[in-house]
Amino acid sequence: MQTSRTRRFRIASSALLALTLATTAAACGGGDDDSSGAGADGVTTISVATFNEFGYEGLIDEWNESHDDIKVEQVKVGTWDDAKANLYTKLAAGSGLSDIEAIEGDAMPAILAEEGAFEDLTDEELDGRWLPWVEEKAMNADGQMIGYPTDIGPEGICYRSDLFKKAGLPTDREEVAELMGTWDDYFALGEDFMRKVPDTAWYDSSGGLAQAMLNQVANPFETDDNTVDVENPELEAVWADVTGNIEKGLSTKLPQWSDDWTASFQNDGFATMACPGWMLGVVEGNAEGVKGWDIANVFPGGGGNWGGSFLTVPSQGDNIEAAKEVAAWLTAPEQQVKAFADKGTFPSQVEALESEEVTTATNAFFNDAPTGEILAERAQAVTVQPYKGPKYSDILQAFQAAILRVDDGSQDAEQSWDQFVTDVDALG
Amino acid sequence: MSNSTTSRGGGTQTVSPPREGPRTASGPTGRAPRPEWRQRLTRLDVRLSPYLYISPFFLLFLVVGMFPLAYTAWVSVHDWSLIGGKGEFVGLDNFREVLGNPYFTKQLVNTISIFLISSVPQIVIAVVLAALLDNQLRGRTLWRMSILLPFVVSPVAVAIIFGSLYGDRYGLINELLGHIGIDPVGWHTNRFASHVAVASMVNWRWTGYNALIFLAAMQAVPRELYESAAIDGAGRVRQFISMTLPMIRPTMIFVVITSTIGGLQIFAEPRLFDETNARNGGSDRQFGTITMLIYDFGWQLRDLGRASATAWLLFLVICVFGIANFLLIRRIGSLGGDR
Amino acid sequence: MTRRPGFLVYGLLTAFVIGSAAPLYWSFLLGSHTKEIAAQGVPPLLPGGHFWSNAERAVATIPFWKALSNSLLVSTVTACSVVFFCTLAGYAFAKLRFRGRGPLLVFVIATMAVPTQLGVVPLFILMSEFGWTGSITSVIIPWLVTAFGVFFMRQYLVDAVPDELIEAARMDGCSQIRIFWHVAAPAARPAAAILWLFTFMQVWTDFFWPLIALPHDNPTVQVALNQLQSGFFKDYSLVLAGTTLATIPLLVLFVLAGRQLVSGIMQGAVKG
Repeated sequence: MQTSRTRRFRIASSALLALTLATTAAACGGGDDDSSGAGADGVTTISVATFNEFGYEGLIDEWNESHDDIKVEQVKVGTWDDAKANLYTKLAAGSGLSDIEAIEGDAMPAILAEEGAFEDLTDEELDGRWLPWVEEKAMNADGQMIGYPTDIGPEGICYRSDLFKKAGLPTDREEVAELMGTWDDYFALGEDFMRKVPDTAWYDSSGGLAQAMLNQVANPFETDDNTVDVENPELEAVWADVTGNIEKGLSTKLPQWSDDWTASFQNDGFATMACPGWMLGVVEGNAEGVKGWDIANVFPGGGGNWGGSFLTVPSQGDNIEAAKEVAAWLTAPEQQVKAFADKGTFPSQVEALESEEVTTATNAFFNDAPTGEILAERAQAVTVQPYKGPKYSDILQAFQAAILRVDDGSQDAEQSWDQFVTDVDALG
Repeated sequence: MSNSTTSRGGGTQTVSPPREGPRTASGPTGRAPRPEWRQRLTRLDVRLSPYLYISPFFLLFLVVGMFPLAYTAWVSVHDWSLIGGKGEFVGLDNFREVLGNPYFTKQLVNTISIFLISSVPQIVIAVVLAALLDNQLRGRTLWRMSILLPFVVSPVAVAIIFGSLYGDRYGLINELLGHIGIDPVGWHTNRFASHVAVASMVNWRWTGYNALIFLAAMQAVPRELYESAAIDGAGRVRQFISMTLPMIRPTMIFVVITSTIGGLQIFAEPRLFDETNARNGGSDRQFGTITMLIYDFGWQLRDLGRASATAWLLFLVICVFGIANFLLIRRIGSLGGDR
Repeated sequence: MTRRPGFLVYGLLTAFVIGSAAPLYWSFLLGSHTKEIAAQGVPPLLPGGHFWSNAERAVATIPFWKALSNSLLVSTVTACSVVFFCTLAGYAFAKLRFRGRGPLLVFVIATMAVPTQLGVVPLFILMSEFGWTGSITSVIIPWLVTAFGVFFMRQYLVDAVPDELIEAARMDGCSQIRIFWHVAAPAARPAAAILWLFTFMQVWTDFFWPLIALPHDNPTVQVALNQLQSGFFKDYSLVLAGTTLATIPLLVLFVLAGRQLVSGIMQGAVKG
């Protein structure tokens, strides 16, 4: 018995070895894998790396249908933090980046500081395409335009009218807007709401609230000369509000973008959230099947802009000219108007903002709210452009972690703040 | 047939007579003795071949195995930014900074805790499972294959699948716990609970594998020993404790040491289990591990100097654990009996 | 005779096997339902009919086929390379006498304990220097040889090839390379197959280094799964359909060669 088993084993293993050799030969023969560049047939493939939702799927199909020489491929990554780690790694490696890389607005200052890593995209023909204050964020110290702005993130308040009704609050979006002029009003309303509907939190996450409030502070983390200064009274006030609300139970205490956060859209987890334009697509995706969402033309404490992104062309790419062409096309007003219709990413292009498709746009999921009009007004209400230096994105990550520590109860507000300060020091 | 495999260097001269070989060496009728150049060549062949055989391995290994080790040490004593490259020589500053960083201590403790929570129950279950398999089972190959099934699922896939079960608020496990009256567990926030969750992924994947190793060791125990023990009146459990366990002790050492080396490097499971943006292992690094800290230092904070220092410290920890394991188990062994 | 198993043994084993399979079933189960059903706390016990449509969406979200072919290529090439070089070296350590054999073997064994993580920083610097980061070459190179492979083949060959046979072949006038090829290599085949399987699986499941080295548009399966999971919408019907799909290749390998895998693990244990 022993011998027959051995023989059988040997036969099987030789068969396996033969199979392997065959597959290797096949694999090696066919696997000449050059990640990008012009193919033998003269077709250039341009990869566009995006995160979250850019609303580019339809646009890229459109491009590919009308172009034979340049094909566009989208590389989608989940969150900006993932994209950022990859971006820096491949930047350091000198290879591996996509031909076009989308950059989150908050990280643009850090990207601008990477001299020589990204192409100068300045193009006279595009003068005046974007809102001046957005364009400014894409300019490096030498006056080169490093990124083409895609969208901006003027914020309104998304809310669940059905839950408002349950709490005896007004449900009409104009009436709701009147109740939320300042943060104090907004928080007080929340406490009122939660007395009536105790199982539902007032807003989606402490992190989201912090983002909203930070974007109304002139110098959240850094002074104008890029000195890191996190122990400033304005930031401490934001911290006090955010962590104070955690104690009051206004927050879901969930990490934004986590499984539980996503699930909370389906489980009446919260009643309101800060909603930049691009968030509309997120809400719609996560809350599929939930009725009652609406958006109010208001933002506590004045206007606020959260995010908005840029398309950059890394210098390490093989097809820089083609990449520039595609980036310019994607960020043209006509295209961003379509992206807005698809995912709610609110255009940063002057012409797009004036176009009828945008100004008269309504959103069926949000109870047919005139989202174009609301977001345009929200954009006008933005008065403060926070100063964001090269370290902003990294410090923000530490700040978000600090908030989560209070959210999940692993530290109290004071301990967590101290650790945040230590973490910022460690950034070097 | 033989020509195709003769050494390339020899060219046409080395076409040697096949098959009737044995006779040429010893046969009395004999042919002419081999020419002297051939003897010399053969001697050279014998002397050089071993080095020829091991050199591809060692050359490659030097490049991909040893050189990185030394180079890590070199990087660890410099300021070395991910983007900017090498900076000044800073001596042991990186080590000092890492050792002084509260996250290092915390993540080291996490790593060890996850390792212990995974390996101790895993070995106990694996031994029991091996004992079950060490029977005259019907369809035993099928049983053996079945318990090995989780081993082919990658840690990343395991982490995704288990992650979908361990939601803090809306996950299946908490849902089920709720039905039997247990409060929801903070799988991502409570430090100990998160270690249990991560350890469960490791255990699921490796228990069957280790059980097979123990099974092999158990089958090497002579059956007559059991028979004579049975005649002496020792019961099944007693036989197992006083005979089987001592006999498989060397295998135990092997399993413990290999799982130490692997377990202390754990990365994929806790990283994919984390849902905070930074993915450092929870808001307060409740389940961050040392390897995650290497990634954080090197590729998120973009400081390769500190990443290298951390890598070396991890290596030291693994060495200490490996040696401690070895000594401990050998000691238990020498107390227990003849092995 | 004394060891005929009873109902209890079969019962416990069955329970364990169910536990082994359950998470995979769960993955398929959620992957086969719509997003809404998957989002419920407790889904139905039987699979739904949406697996392929979910899998299609997953394949569209990540560069799935590219990841699959990358993983196949990387795992196959490295497995072949490890088997070849390690058999050669293992044979020399097992059967040939040469100066420095003992210390070198001790060295090989000692390096088995060196964690791969330790080399990640210099590997990254090195690969960047050569401009290989981003291509799958960077993932193949570090795996071309393993210390474990040499040790494993040596342990096997010590017993598998009788010294007399080698001696006879040498008397016969065989050159060393012919002895290796005609005597040692055939005898090494069973162990080589096992080493091949192990290396294949190890490289297939590797995550840390590919995560650093590979870009989002040219990943291995593990890196692509990571991308899928960290998606913006956490849609578990999609994520788990993709995960299930990505596990199928190894499941196929398992069905084909599981028997070898089992005996390989058990043999390795006795020798190691």
